[in-house]
Amino acid sequence: MPRAIRGVLVECDPAIKSIIVNIDSDNHDYIIEELDEERVVIKENMVAALKAKLEERLAENHPDDESGSE
Amino acid sequence: MSVSTAPSLQLTDYLEKLPGTTFRKLYQQPSTAFAIFRRMLPQLAKTFVMRMLFMPKPMLLHDLELWVRPDAKRQKDQALSILQAFHIVHITAPSRDRPQEMQLSPNFKTSMRLALTGGGTHQSFGVPSNLTVPTEIDINFLDRYAKKKWEDILHFVVSSVGYKSSAEANGPNKSVKELIISGRLVDRRPGGGIGITQAGFTFLLQEANAQVWTLLLLWLEAMDNNREAGLEAVDMLSFLFVLASMELGRAYDTNALTEQRRNMLPSLVDFGLVHVPHHKRSMFFPTRLATTLTSGSSSSLRSISEGVTAATTAVQTSGGPLGSTEKGSVVVETNYRVYAYTHSTLQIAVLALFCKLTSRFPDMVAGRLTRASIRQAINFGITADQIIAYLAAHAHEQMHRTALQTAKPVLPPTVVDQIRLWQLENERMKTTVGFLFKEFEDHKEYLAIAGFAEEIGVLVWRSDKTGMFFASKHEQIRDYLRIRKKAE
Repeated sequence: MPRAIRGVLVECDPAIKSIIVNIDSDNHDYIIEELDEERVVIKENMVAALKAKLEERLAENHPDDESGSE
Repeated sequence: MSVSTAPSLQLTDYLEKLPGTTFRKLYQQPSTAFAIFRRMLPQLAKTFVMRMLFMPKPMLLHDLELWVRPDAKRQKDQALSILQAFHIVHITAPSRDRPQEMQLSPNFKTSMRLALTGGGTHQSFGVPSNLTVPTEIDINFLDRYAKKKWEDILHFVVSSVGYKSSAEANGPNKSVKELIISGRLVDRRPGGGIGITQAGFTFLLQEANAQVWTLLLLWLEAMDNNREAGLEAVDMLSFLFVLASMELGRAYDTNALTEQRRNMLPSLVDFGLVHVPHHKRSMFFPTRLATTLTSGSSSSLRSISEGVTAATTAVQTSGGPLGSTEKGSVVVETNYRVYAYTHSTLQIAVLALFCKLTSRFPDMVAGRLTRASIRQAINFGITADQIIAYLAAHAHEQMHRTALQTAKPVLPPTVVDQIRLWQLENERMKTTVGFLFKEFEDHKEYLAIAGFAEEIGVLVWRSDKTGMFFASKHEQIRDYLRIRKKAE
């Protein structure tokens, strides 16, 4: 009998996926299954937390654009 | 990102969902029959109704074709389907021995005749009050009153974000606030505040008349779900149509209303549709928001402040969109700077939803579109296309003039593209809720079940190499698995 696991399929580009894997590597509490380079299945209740973490990581690499001329 | 799924309600959609019995009740009131005729029907359908109104006997459906030129068959079918959707005409079922006949439904016919020719004691167009009217209440007063009430409501929808307006203190009544929240025009946010939703932004972009209806329909639905309040949606709806047929600036008698309708008055006062003088509770005045309910039905984009002004000050003659004659006030430059020549706090509050406003002058505000400001708007559920549509609809006439001279689009393409890119940036991952299926007994089983999932349209992703697939639903697959097991 096959198994059916409830989760959320996340599709993104490889760069984002590697960040997700990296976030997960701390506690392994996000990812259920890595499918391929652009897809992972994560736990349903962790989607919001993952999005927030991802935003955080991306913000580190994005200098604040408010410094432009006013 | 939370995207509200509640669509903004429209009167047509609401009415089309009502059952035939409700329509029969509605049409007992001449004012309702007349209002639906006036507002909801296309010209051709009106012509049909008028020609059939005084026919003593049903007419043959076949004869209708003589009225319409053959090349307008599509319009004719459209008109007929609308008339049927509103239960205005009744067409007999096709049968072999009798040709199909059509006639106006009896209640509609009677009421419509009464509305046009007068007579009867239905009092469905309101009973004027005999008392002396307080001198301070004139049309200007009512317009100012309605405008104030309605702007308070719009302020409430936008005020919670960005630009802090003073409306919080004397905003709309609590029940109106609850209604707006339960209608998901705004969301409660963690931390006690509230914020606008996508539906709320769509609401803001509608013209005033459509906004009033959206709110009223939310109210009707809320009352339908809450029987204890003792209000019945059908009667409420027909009272709204009565209000719509009343005369602006005239006092009407409260005591001539049924008790149920009297109970509606406080809410209508909250919406700004009705004014009741403090010292004379036995009379009420419909405002322009109420009397224009059934006139004009254009759904064009129009500026919020001007939408209100148009509904509260302009003459009632306009039926068509006024978009071309309105003066836009927003200038967008290629360097993402935004200038708005306005002193409407409401428009400023709307701009603050997606702009970083930096300076305010007596009749002008200046700001910039930034990555952060657009992302903030997108987090509220406003889409890039809505922002672009808003800017385009409110572009200053100088923008239009330059665009015309240089044969370029009104908004700078770089800015438009960048707004879209900023939105894309925010959607780095696509998520689908569902079920991962794995650990099949053999590849044959995997292929059969993945194939089944694909057939019923729930398959999102499959990998034949690893023998796994992802499906958005599992119930049917589970049943299919059981049947397969039994068969073995």
